[in-house]
Amino acid sequence: MLVVDVEVPRRRFTVAAAFEVPAGGRLALHGPSGAGKTTVLEAVAGLVAPSRGSVRVGQRRLLDTVRLRALPPAERRVALVRQRPGLFPHLTVAQNLAYGLRPRRDPVARDRVRALVEAMGVGELLGSRPGSLSGGQAQRVALARALLSRHDVLLLDEPFAGLDAGLQAELLELCLAMLAGSAAAAVLVTHDLVAAQRFGERIGVLDAGRVLQLDAPDAVVARPASRRVAELVGYGGFLPDPGLAPGAGWIGVHPDRVAPGASPALGPVLTGTVRGCHPAGGAWTVTLAVSPGGEPVTCRLGAAAAPGAPLTVTVLDPPRFDAAGRARRAAPPTPERARAV
Amino acid sequence: MTSLAPSPGRAVPRPTAAAAAVGVAGALVVVLVLLAPLLALLAHLSPGGVRAALRQPGALDPLAVSLGASALAMLLIAGAGTPVAWLLARRRLPAPALWETAILLPLLMPPLVVGLLLVFVLGPATPIGVALAHLRLSATNTFLAVVVAEVYESAPYYVLQAAAAFAAVDPDLEDAAALLGDRAARRFRRVTLPLAAPGLATAFAVSWARAIGAFGAVLIIAYHPYGLPLQIWTTLQETGLASSLPFALLLLAVALPPPLAALWWSARARRRR
Repeated sequence: MLVVDVEVPRRRFTVAAAFEVPAGGRLALHGPSGAGKTTVLEAVAGLVAPSRGSVRVGQRRLLDTVRLRALPPAERRVALVRQRPGLFPHLTVAQNLAYGLRPRRDPVARDRVRALVEAMGVGELLGSRPGSLSGGQAQRVALARALLSRHDVLLLDEPFAGLDAGLQAELLELCLAMLAGSAAAAVLVTHDLVAAQRFGERIGVLDAGRVLQLDAPDAVVARPASRRVAELVGYGGFLPDPGLAPGAGWIGVHPDRVAPGASPALGPVLTGTVRGCHPAGGAWTVTLAVSPGGEPVTCRLGAAAAPGAPLTVTVLDPPRFDAAGRARRAAPPTPERARAV
Repeated sequence: MTSLAPSPGRAVPRPTAAAAAVGVAGALVVVLVLLAPLLALLAHLSPGGVRAALRQPGALDPLAVSLGASALAMLLIAGAGTPVAWLLARRRLPAPALWETAILLPLLMPPLVVGLLLVFVLGPATPIGVALAHLRLSATNTFLAVVVAEVYESAPYYVLQAAAAFAAVDPDLEDAAALLGDRAARRFRRVTLPLAAPGLATAFAVSWARAIGAFGAVLIIAYHPYGLPLQIWTTLQETGLASSLPFALLLLAVALPPPLAALWWSARARRRR
């Protein structure tokens, strides 16, 4: 069990994060650039010094500012993979992989290396220098090197950002396969919500140094704790709550949680005028101006809509927020409504 | 130290054949001008003359002094300068600009002035001179004095270039080594030093050339025993240009190979990355 509770002062705000990851568990931290995600990982790794807090793995205290204890990075048994792979350019891939092995000439370790090298498909690269690797290959080697080092915690800091989307997904799946059966607590930091949802058993939504919500991967989208969380997980519009007086509350409209046509049993029905319609992958992104007033909302629909035409859609079980932006607990969905969603 | 070669993949406009020829010719002129003294030296030497000059009794003593003093000076410079360079590069010293300026000063000052001032610091009547006398040592007109003068003339070249070499090592790589279980000394040995090595070799090369050729400060504080530069100077004064040339050749023969080897190794190490 990794238990983190740290405060790290930064120029514009203090990063204050608290979370737990069970041994063998996976947490994803999701948030915009500059939210402090990397700082949290660096505090766990010992690369920045928190002003207050503690980090512990099981009974091992890596950091405890009250007891004035801070293990140096070399003794933390924390592995870190960053966006820049950080391979040693003067060593071959094989030497990079073996760098963290202790003891170094151990037959058991050699078997482990061989098995992992095979599983990660880096066997042909062993004699190469990092400078000659492609981005994807370098990141595979960096991941393998981290997995081979002695670690209780695996930190992944946007490890696949900068690679093409297909490769990102492939490496994420590879990473998950490698983690299966591992006893390490893993934390992935990413601004890609889909990757966060695929990786994390839980997701922490981070903004301006605060963990705004720590929840199940579907729950952060289905039940965002605040309007800010909703914005960060992709809600593209907020409309006055039809059940309340004007200005007293809002519903959030997520582009992926809108169905064409009127189905009042599934959620509020909106009627408006199509402002714009653009292809988005296999679907269409439709901008809808809803009367009366209210900002335009975006939704992803299976069929194109002509600009200027009227359009009726149903917002599926939207989250509701009070005037201050806090989530309002709506009545729990009836069983048939939940099934339909 | 950056490479002058264009980075791969960058489009360099192709010159026309005539422009290329002019460029090569121009570069050749520059190189010939720079190498002219060396060519002149070779043109004015006869193997017999060199042999005769160097066979005289005691003729090779200055060579021993120069090699010994420079080797000791470089040992001191590398031993004390490398940690200082690392501290400078990693901004571990308070007021880094002040430190850099202080290290740069001996390089900026004329060597003759450095020599004069050293007399006031290390002369027999100074506290340091007295202390050295207790140890039966003296820092004027001794082998030790040659070493001290050479250190003052060449240390800044090493320390500042070594600091640049360390600064060029990505701190993320040192962090990576730490997280893979290496404590400070081990990651310095396994990551920082090998990555900075080509730059350190260049720094060492330049500094060695300065040390073995040191003249100004040596002339003032260490007139005896003669190293090669002073041998050249006194021979020139006493018997003229022609008889000092064999010693010039000797000085070049010992001063140039180590730095050239270091530069060659450094260029090769950089290419291999």
